[in-house]
Amino acid sequence: MALEAIQVSKSFGEPPTKVLHDLDFLITEGEFVALTGRSGSGKSTLLYLLGALDFPTSGKILIDNKDISEISSEALHELRNRSVGFVFQFHYLLPELTAIENVLMPSRKAATKGVAIKEFVERAHGLMDEFGLSDKKDRLPRQLSGGEQQRVAIARALAMRPRYLFADEPTGSLDTVNGDIVMSLFEKTNREDKTTVILVTHDPGFAARATRQIKLVDGRMA
Amino acid sequence: MFFLAIRHLVSRKKQTVLTLLGIVFGSMAFVAISGFMLGFQYFLLDQLINNDAHIRVSAREDRIDRSVAMRDLYGKSSAALVTWVTEPSGTRSNPKIENPRGWAEILGNDPRVEAYSPQFSSQVLFSLGAISANGRLIGSEPDMQVKVTNIENYVLTGKFTDIATGGNRLLVGTGLLKKLGSTDGSTIFVSNGRNRPTPFKIIGTFETGNRQLDDSTAFAALIDVQRLSGQQDEINNIAIRLWDFNRARDVAHDWQAVSVDKVESWDEINAAFLNVFQIQDATRYLMIAVILLVAGFGIYNILNVVVSQKKKEIAILRSIGYEQGDILKLFFLQGIILGVVGSALGLALGYVACLALELVRFGGGPMGGGTFMKVSFDPMIYVRAFLFGSLTSAFASLMPARAAGKLTPIDIIRSGAE
Repeated sequence: MALEAIQVSKSFGEPPTKVLHDLDFLITEGEFVALTGRSGSGKSTLLYLLGALDFPTSGKILIDNKDISEISSEALHELRNRSVGFVFQFHYLLPELTAIENVLMPSRKAATKGVAIKEFVERAHGLMDEFGLSDKKDRLPRQLSGGEQQRVAIARALAMRPRYLFADEPTGSLDTVNGDIVMSLFEKTNREDKTTVILVTHDPGFAARATRQIKLVDGRMA
Repeated sequence: MFFLAIRHLVSRKKQTVLTLLGIVFGSMAFVAISGFMLGFQYFLLDQLINNDAHIRVSAREDRIDRSVAMRDLYGKSSAALVTWVTEPSGTRSNPKIENPRGWAEILGNDPRVEAYSPQFSSQVLFSLGAISANGRLIGSEPDMQVKVTNIENYVLTGKFTDIATGGNRLLVGTGLLKKLGSTDGSTIFVSNGRNRPTPFKIIGTFETGNRQLDDSTAFAALIDVQRLSGQQDEINNIAIRLWDFNRARDVAHDWQAVSVDKVESWDEINAAFLNVFQIQDATRYLMIAVILLVAGFGIYNILNVVVSQKKKEIAILRSIGYEQGDILKLFFLQGIILGVVGSALGLALGYVACLALELVRFGGGPMGGGTFMKVSFDPMIYVRAFLFGSLTSAFASLMPARAAGKLTPIDIIRSGAE
């Protein structure tokens, strides 16, 4: 059980500009990895490749030894639904839905695939309580503060007990206090649930709290 | 996805209501316009079908012209050898049904025929003192005539069947009576132009609402009209009522094949009217098409805008495992909901509009007669309106929904991040 990058390159645009250059690395289960580097270094791009939201131009990304470019669309959606959780810099909550409904969206999808979701619904409520949001479950996102919204987004990412949590500058739009809360939640998840966390950040303080750092300079590992 | 679709619609109330209004007005207009147009058409059709014969057999006017004369006098082959000093022209005697007995046998035995009435009708001059008016005198056996048309319903004074009790009695249209300045019960003179005017007693009046008829028509007993014209025992047309008026055309064609007389069904006689109906229908559908097109574009535009506004959320949904089809459904459902709800509201409003239209006074036209607007409540109107409304919305939302489905999460995140 691991994430593996083999000779991964990624190009954008026409003519193609190479953003990532022949990356090779292995992230084993339970690691807490910080992807660091300046903006434009390709760290976000790499994160989305590892999270199977995007595909490499050449090379392979293996999630649990399966090449994400080759698995079926059905399996890919199940992977995104069950095994992977994403947290973005801008929380991206669905504004029409209440906090708890947002958190329950992944299990709603799983239910349509015949998965028994009772456990996940309970977990969703548990996470909300744990994140100090028990009295704000039925509020709409716009009625929550930025830090609260980000915690809801993290609860949503964790609701399905994913084995991998990807976070793209989750503290980028938060103040120090809220940023610190978010980091603590990641650490706790990593510690207690053995969730593999891959975090993009350019805050050296937060990066230092990871068990491992991967630094990118111009699309190459430094 | 249904619940999220509903949430989307509710969250932008103003847009939703505006979009809905387009569909509501479209289907309402369809119901109301169809209601009164079809109501009027059914009313006219009813008049055409029930006030007149379903099939009319009439005597063919036997014209004599050059080709007929050549054939009868010289045979076909000699055409080039004959030169006319004066071209032949004319008709053979007065038109009459050649074989009334044969027709009686056919009509009496045909199971499709409900009733028939042999008639002798003639263009005549009605006169009272110095005042005269021309018109049409229809001679029939009253017992048979009342089974063919519902003229009895329009009799104001007297009784239709009384025209046969005694000689030379008339039932005249109210308009004609007025023209002559005559009154019920008086005697007027009738002439066919060749013979001396004959006195007829007016024993009743009728008013169909069709002015053309009311202003110029009088009914009399068959034998009286035959005598007036000097054509005893002859008839010049037969009015026939069928059990099923829809088969009139087919039946007429069957008979025409075995007869020298002219056989016409009601829809052939009234082809002009039916053409007007077709034009009305075309106009109606065109109007609705335009309204729905506008409403459809409304939905299309709004959904396009919504899809581009909701890109981030589409990305989120995709990143937590929702598939292309789910996203398509999310937006397609919104269109369907708008269409179904809008059409349903439109039907209800259209129904109310039809009820209101029914209270509008209306009359005086050439085919008037009704004192209130005739409105049709045919269920097919409502079914059609509903289908048009919903299908338009479905169709209009399909493209934006498909475009939304095709967005990949990474495209959206990347374009949003920069």
